[in-house]
Amino acid sequence: MAAVRPLVTVQPLEGHMATNALAGVPRPDVLKAPMRPDVVRFVHASLSRNSRQPCAVSKHAGHQTSAESCGVPAAPSPVSPASPAAEHTAPARVPSATCAAAAVCSPPTKTWRRWHRHVNVNIRRYATASALAASAVPSLVLARGHRIESVPEFLLVVSDTAEGVEKTASAIKILKQVGAVPDAEKARDSQGIRPGMRKMRNRGYIFRMGPLIVYGNIPMSSALNLVELASGDHIDRLVILTYHPYTLKLYGENPKLNSMFGTFDKSSEKKKGYVLLRSKMHNADLSMIINSDEVQLVVQPIKKDVKRHTLKRNPLKNLYTLLKLNPYLDKKRTQLPKEEAAAIKAAGPARYKTMISDSECLVFSISFTFIESTSDDHRMQVEPTESQCPVHVRRITLTTA
Amino acid sequence: MATEEAKAVVPESVLKKRKREEQWAVAKKQAVDAKKKKDRTNRKLIFTRAQQYAKEYESQEKELIRLKREARMKGGFYVSPEAKLLFIIRIRGINAMHPKTRKILQLLRLRQIFNGVFLKVNKATMNMLQRVEPYVTYGYPNLKSVRELIYKRGYGKLNKQRIPLTDNAIIEQGLGKHGIICMEDLVHEIMTVGTHFKEANNFLWPFKLKAPLGGLKKKRRHYVEGGDAGNREDYINELIRRMN
Repeated sequence: MAAVRPLVTVQPLEGHMATNALAGVPRPDVLKAPMRPDVVRFVHASLSRNSRQPCAVSKHAGHQTSAESCGVPAAPSPVSPASPAAEHTAPARVPSATCAAAAVCSPPTKTWRRWHRHVNVNIRRYATASALAASAVPSLVLARGHRIESVPEFLLVVSDTAEGVEKTASAIKILKQVGAVPDAEKARDSQGIRPGMRKMRNRGYIFRMGPLIVYGNIPMSSALNLVELASGDHIDRLVILTYHPYTLKLYGENPKLNSMFGTFDKSSEKKKGYVLLRSKMHNADLSMIINSDEVQLVVQPIKKDVKRHTLKRNPLKNLYTLLKLNPYLDKKRTQLPKEEAAAIKAAGPARYKTMISDSECLVFSISFTFIESTSDDHRMQVEPTESQCPVHVRRITLTTA
Repeated sequence: MATEEAKAVVPESVLKKRKREEQWAVAKKQAVDAKKKKDRTNRKLIFTRAQQYAKEYESQEKELIRLKREARMKGGFYVSPEAKLLFIIRIRGINAMHPKTRKILQLLRLRQIFNGVFLKVNKATMNMLQRVEPYVTYGYPNLKSVRELIYKRGYGKLNKQRIPLTDNAIIEQGLGKHGIICMEDLVHEIMTVGTHFKEANNFLWPFKLKAPLGGLKKKRRHYVEGGDAGNREDYINELIRRMN
């Protein structure tokens, strides 16, 4: 994790020798291992199976009775009873009414069930490293439910005088000094009766898990047991580490964890050829990455306009879309070019006559003149009119003289 | 008081973001202005081209009439050159087809009944048509047919998608590199079977025509026999009117 405090202060205890300078201890790299709850869950589930003892039903269960079945119920079958097929086909095993242990009809459990699981060494170590790393993050430990309000610092390292403790009372005193008492008390108060049938197997009571105290001089296998570290297969158990001065190196690092797990650069001394696994993302702060200058320089502007599907309109019917596609048609439809229009006007009625004779179509305008006389004949006159295009009937005018 | 405080201490990230957005806004405005200018010049260009084509078509028609009249006057006949452009319509469904004819129809992009495509006339295509004659009807479309098909039922293939030709920009996007930037260019290219006919035709998605109003005569017979299949030359235009 990027945001990890590099130094860890060791909590001094009563009776601690002042000569040992314990101001700040560099964090071992294990605690920066990537936190992978999925890996831990898998490993924990597998490893917790390893302490199981085999159990099964008795092989005589259900058979220690003198009852007999009444036989197969007679049922019509396509296979004739005499044929060998009929003898071999087993009809559904119907337990007779007298068959006491109906459970025997399902196969009895066996002791050679696969109880234990083998987990790859690498994954196991990865899970332990993950669990350790999680125990150093206060928010995670809080989330798991530990009472850590009074704990001064995460990672919780205590001076090694804690290792010399013999009596419970002094142990409790140490917890008080370190602020871990509320958590221990919570564990003590949480004693309850286990629901379910496990009580019959002497697992009557259940407790919450308090802090896990890890001694500095105990080899890994017993101290940093994953099952302890990640009990309930949640990582982030409250872990109290003691600081072991005897293996203090020149730089003052907590050598135990480092030598056990190695650093990101060095491989571990205790575990042959094991190098701490790196996380997938070195810098997991996405918003920082996205808003960084390097990224923003290359980034394109936000596309805010949404292109929606527009309805296709038929240009043959819809003038607007037609003109959008072919602007020439606008002028063509509505006007003649200026010169032509002027020429037509200038030509006047004469043009009209030539048009008629050319096109051989009858174009005329009818005007009725009503003569105010007693005679009833109405004069019909054909008059030329101005027009731009030939039409069949131009105009009927009613004029009074 | 809160705003005063905020003014005093604006986080750097906010400042950066503002600056970035300003720059984007400027760039966008420039792009929009440039596009507007380009559109305006384009429009003029499209207008002049459309005008030119209109003249061209008119003169072609007049020329044809003139030649015919001339020949008639001399007592002979004017035989117009063989058509260069065909319009094919698939008139049969998809069931029970020989795989080879099926393949040819696929190559012609006629995968559905009453699909239509334009086709250039050459030995290769004519031979293909011969193979699929019972399944298609084809002929020589005139300007009105070509124009109406493209305007009403024209869709272009952009990015493998069937995009309606609602804007000249779409045509420009698809065929700009061949100098075809508007509907009229496209119509002209198809009509006159120009140098980029292949690209222009391929840009056009196969036309999905409606079933002909008034019906077909008899699909399983050749046109010549009173049916519908095969080459019906100029009468394809009448069919297109009914199917467009």
